[in-house]
Order: sequence, then C-alpha cells, then structure tokens
Amino acid sequence: MTNVEKPKIALFLCGCSTNISNLIDLDAIAEWARKREDIDIIEVHSLLCSPDGKEFFKQEIARNKPENVIIAACSPHQHEVTFQDLAAEAGLNIGHIQMVNIREHCAWVTPDKVKATEKAKSLINAAMMRAELAEDIEKQTMIANTDVLIIGGGIAGIEASLIASKAGRKVFIVERDISLGGEIIKTEEIAPNMACAPCLLAPRLSEVRDDPNITVITNAVVTEVLGFLGNFTVKIHKKARYVDDSCIGCDACFEVCPVTVPSEFNLELSTRNAIYTLFPGAVPAMAVIDKDICKHFIDDSCNACIGACPFGSINFDEKDEEIVAEVGAIVIATGFETGDPSVIEEMGYRKIENVYTIREFERLTCSNGPTGSKIKLKNGEEPTSIAVIHCADSLRENGIPYCSGTCCIRAAKVGELARKQIPDVRVINIHNDLVFTGPAANDFYRKQLDGGTEFVKTDHTSIKIYERNDKIAIEGAGILLEVDMVVLSTGVKPAKGTEALAEMLNIDIGKNGFFQSDHELLHATCASVDCIYIAGSAAGPCDVAESVTRAQATVGDAISKLVPGREIELEMMTTVIDEDKCGGCKLCITVCPFKAIEYDAEENISKVIEAICRGCGTCAATCPSGAAKAKYFTDKQIFAEIGGLLNV
Amino acid sequence: MSDFNPKIVAFVCNWCSYAGADKAGALKLNYPANVKLIRVMCSGRVDPQFVMDAYREGADGVMILGCHPGDCHYRTGNVKALKRYKLLKKTLSQFGINDKRLKLDWVAAGEAALFQKVVNDMAETVKELGPLHITGYVEQGGK
Repeated sequence: MTNVEKPKIALFLCGCSTNISNLIDLDAIAEWARKREDIDIIEVHSLLCSPDGKEFFKQEIARNKPENVIIAACSPHQHEVTFQDLAAEAGLNIGHIQMVNIREHCAWVTPDKVKATEKAKSLINAAMMRAELAEDIEKQTMIANTDVLIIGGGIAGIEASLIASKAGRKVFIVERDISLGGEIIKTEEIAPNMACAPCLLAPRLSEVRDDPNITVITNAVVTEVLGFLGNFTVKIHKKARYVDDSCIGCDACFEVCPVTVPSEFNLELSTRNAIYTLFPGAVPAMAVIDKDICKHFIDDSCNACIGACPFGSINFDEKDEEIVAEVGAIVIATGFETGDPSVIEEMGYRKIENVYTIREFERLTCSNGPTGSKIKLKNGEEPTSIAVIHCADSLRENGIPYCSGTCCIRAAKVGELARKQIPDVRVINIHNDLVFTGPAANDFYRKQLDGGTEFVKTDHTSIKIYERNDKIAIEGAGILLEVDMVVLSTGVKPAKGTEALAEMLNIDIGKNGFFQSDHELLHATCASVDCIYIAGSAAGPCDVAESVTRAQATVGDAISKLVPGREIELEMMTTVIDEDKCGGCKLCITVCPFKAIEYDAEENISKVIEAICRGCGTCAATCPSGAAKAKYFTDKQIFAEIGGLLNV
Repeated sequence: MSDFNPKIVAFVCNWCSYAGADKAGALKLNYPANVKLIRVMCSGRVDPQFVMDAYREGADGVMILGCHPGDCHYRTGNVKALKRYKLLKKTLSQFGINDKRLKLDWVAAGEAALFQKVVNDMAETVKELGPLHITGYVEQGGK
C-alpha cells in the first residue's frame, strides 16, 4: 500500500475447518470482495479460532490498523467475545468489530452451495454497510460501595449479615421489631429433625451483637432509598427506646410497671408491660418503653421504672433518630406472615375456645411461651385429643390461593410435640392434600404415622368447626369428630409492608405478593433491580434450610460483584439519549423495563441512567424524535443492514 | 409464480430467537436461502420503521421473532414488540401491504424445529401472496 490512509474494512473469511469451506465458496466471496472499493483487506483462513488463527487475526489488525473488521465465520454466540478481545488487544475499539454468521445461519441451513454463497455475500454486504456507520463503544466502569444493608433480622438476615461481615464488608441490619430473631425465635423445635431453634440462633445472635463490622439497628424502618447499583443511600428511622444501652434486660422494671397489654411475642396469649423485652436474652438485651401506653407519656402520672432500674437506664427524653447508611447492596430479608384463619368463617378461630393457629400452638410448647411450655386447655387441663386442620386458610378462593409447601410438615409436628408431654393424647391431622417433599420430610411423616398420629383425608373446604357437648366438633365431607383442642395449620403470606418496601426500592412484586426474582431459575435471589437481593421467605414460602441458603446466595452474589478496590463493569451496549433531540415526551420512560430512564423537569429531557440500562433498545424503538440511540444497534446501522442485506 | 422465492427479513432477538436459529443451524434444519436474519438485542428494539424500510428495500415479508412472553431477557421487551406489532398490522393495509407479510412469533433458544417451521411457513405464505409491489407511499426510513 502506498497511501498512509487507514484501510477502511478488513474482511476475515473463516473456513471453520471444512464446516464452512465445503458448503460456501469462500474463494468466490473473496474475489467478489476484492472488486469492491470499500474493502481493503481480505483474508481467508481455515480456522480463525485456532491458536494460529487467533494470532494471525490479531497481528493482521495490529499491523494494518483497519477502521473496521468483519469476521464471516460462526455464530457470534460462539466467538464474538473471542474476536472482540483479540481485536481490542490489537488496538481496535469493539464498536468496529462485526461477526457475520455464515455458518449456523447460512452454510448449515442452505444445502445448495451456490445459494449459500450468494446468501453469505448478502450477509457480508449488510455488515459492510453497517461498518461505515460504526462508532466507538467505550467500556464503562463505576466505583461502588461494598457495604451491605440488610432489611430484616430473622434467620435469613442474620445469616446474610454474618457472611457479609466475614467477607470484610460493613453491614447494617435494620429490624422493625425491638430485637432480632424474626419468626424462628417464636418456636423451639423445627421439623423434620426437631432441631432446637434457640440453639441454632443464640450463638448467631451473639456473633452479630459482638461483630464490630455489623451495626444492628432495631426498632427501626427504612424510609427512603436513593441511588442504584452499588451506590445506595438509605434513610433509616430509628424509634426511641427510652432505655439506653446500659440496660441488661433484667425484669426489675417490668414488675413495677402498672400497665399491661397483650404480648405480641406470645401472640396475645399472655401480657406484657409498657416497658418490656420480647423475651429474656433477646439481642439487643435492652428493654423498650411503649410510648403509646406508658403512663409517663400519657399523663406524666408514673415514673415507677426509673425507681426500679438498678442501672439508671431509663431516659424519657430520648428522641427518634434518622440514620443515613451508604451501601452498595441491599438484602431484603423481611420474611413472611402466617395466614390468618379468621378469614375462613367456618374455622371458628377467635370464636371458639381452644382453637389455635399452629403458630400459637408452637408458643404453647416453648419454654418462654405463655404457659411455660405446657400444652394446656384454657381451663388449665391437658387435652386428650387434638385435631390439626391442614390448609385451614390455604388453597381457597377466600384465603391464600396457593400451597405454601412448608406448612404440612409444621402441622405434622403437632403430634410429635403433644405426645412428648401427653403420651396418650389422640392427634388427628385432617387434610385434603399432603405435601412432604424430599426424603427427610417423608421420613418425618412416616414417623408420625408410626407414633400414632392419624391422617384423615377430606375436602378441606367442607370443614366446619363448632362447639358441641363441651367439646369442639369438626364436621367435613364424610367425617365428624369431637376433640378438646383444634390447631389450624395456616399458610405463608408476604410480610406486612412488602408493597411499600417494593415501591421504595423500585422493585417488582410477583403475582402472589412476594418480592419477584429477576429470574426464577438463574437469579432466584436477585430482585428486579441490580444489587438488590431477596433472602429467605421474602421471595416466597420456604423452610429454614432454604431461607438460610437463599441468604448465603444473596451475599455470595453481592460480594462477588462488589469488591473493594475494583470498579464495576457496566453494560457497554446501552442506550443514550441525545439531549438536543429529546423533546421530553417521556414515552421512553413508560417502555423501559428497568426503570433506567429519568426525567429532568428542569431541562425537559429524559436521561438514561447507564448504570441501570441493560441495552434492550426498546426505548430507541419507541422514541419519536430519534433521540434515543442504542449503541451498536443504532437506527442508522440497522437501516444500513436492511439495505445491505436486500441489495447486493 | 412457482419459481418465486420471496425475500424475507427476520428481526431476531439476541437471546432466544437468534439462538434458536443457531440451533436450527447446528441441527442442519434447512430453510430457504432468501430468509435472512438481522440480530437485535431484543424484539422490543424493532422500530416499526425497520419493518417498513425492509419492504421498501425489497423484502416480500418481514418477521419479528422474540422470546416467549415471560422469558424475555429484558423482562417485557417482547410485550412491547407485540403491542407495536398489532398496531403495525393495522397500519400495513393503509400502505397497500397485505398484513400477512408481517409475522411476529416467539422462538426459544432450544426450539430449533419451531424456528424452521415458522420461517418455512412464512416463506410459504409470502410465496402464495406473490412479490410485493408497493402501491401506497412508504415513507423513507432513517431518523
């Protein structure tokens, strides 16, 4: 070459051994290409992805420095990245590299060699037309915060915070209740192995409490989340406890407090005072004053707790606090809510004495429960018979429409727990469906059968529960029996506040009301926004093992994405909006599946947040003024490709 | 008319349909050489102007192939494509173009045989319609 101008296009034709060269006449294509003015370099290689081929490819580009490279070979899904990387090493921007699929989309589907060769020419021609319009695409990176916010302090949130801390991340764990533990802390034995929940939890709670990397913020809610991907600013409203951290959670003040209300922790089966802890040994240990019922706050008529406290921990002047946390990832571990069977009139819940939910029954068996672990009737006697109603609120139109999959094993536990205390008790589980998934759960079911639990099948929607002869009658299709106690097995619902939190985080909720996974199979613990994760049953009903596993998965993804000292690589093929062309119509905002476009009212333009944009180009197809440009797939490039494809 | 080989341009999404076409290739499932594919990242990227431009440039039929609803790599891009498609079908007749010359379908990455079937069916349909002679005014493409 005599001139010093950069060659416009270099065309590499790969024979793919004989996969392409036997089916397409590459020499004829090379000859056709040589007659064109727009192609300066034409190379035919027998196998461009071989070590020799790659080296050849790279050196050709480094030596000739073409403006654009076209590789007619296999599918870009096979080797696009290979050639992009090689070309980049040789100094060519990846926006100027195109692969033309003459193998899968041409040679292999066109038996006639002449036709296949002609088709290959048109595909290459389209790429040539496109090449003239190629633009640089710059790699984009962003500095990210590597700290983690965990919303919810149940087993999932605790697990997530411990792992994140072990990886050296600073962790904020926000719990709306006054101490950590979530649902699992309300039970003591977990099927199928009757594992001891406090034994699982207590050491973990201490670990969280003592970990300098973990900031535990209880009695608090997240009120605002700003930012995105690796850069979130979170506002947390922490309610005043009116008790400082010198409190060790002893009960000196409880005894003198004149106010009592039903205890939420004991599901209203016992009472608590205006100053209280959830249970002895809670983390954090310090008590809290319920301002709404405390006589000091109502009419300044009582200061009893101050006098009783041996540590001087009471502080009526404490104020609510606004805490701001800067984090890179957010893990939602807000858990679930157990279904309320009072929505099903026929279950007699809250109308008939000794009709309990499974959750309440579990409290009866706990050492810190309302009866000190004794299974008792309201009259103080032991029950001689207990009926357990499966799907008491589930798989029904007017209740929970789905099967939670975790309640049958919990319901089957009743017999195991009851017989421990009352060996002769008769336990009858009344069910329509029975779900014991996996060998361990199935073994547990067989163990209950062997232990004496009766399993009786009937249509669960036919069941009516009423009082008769000082007993509780259960009538259903083909059954009628009388028992002393009824336990209603209820399903799993999304936690209260799920919708509000989803709105705050700008993430999706699935059709059953739980947080929606980004992909049910591949990204089950990722929310629909990058760097927001769903642990535990916030993503849907699950048992303890799965809850913990999901928590581990969330942190695994977060810490592999957010590494101290390493910038996050962003999607390169994003869409950008030309400010001069944008008319501020906001149509793009309505179609963006990722909420990656924001409207700037001051300038009356829409702007793409490139850190969130994944480059689908739906906005570009919608934009009426041509302001939205999808990189590598611009309107002009596609029009050129259409023309090139049809007019060789 | 029997020797008429319609020119068909198919806009295929990168994740499902392009991969479905790759698989059809790997399984050597033949289809007419005049069916040519244009890769876009998402079926939602297909601007109706691309379709009109393809007719203007000589295509006898145009296809838009994307991920099945619910499977979209970009969540709902394919749903946007469907909405535009329905509108575009109505518009086509006003340009004097039989709306059978436009077809939207869903082809997953594993559905090689389905890919072959939808493109062959389209080729057959357009073959019956004959070459496209644009009678109305088709707007010049390019924004």
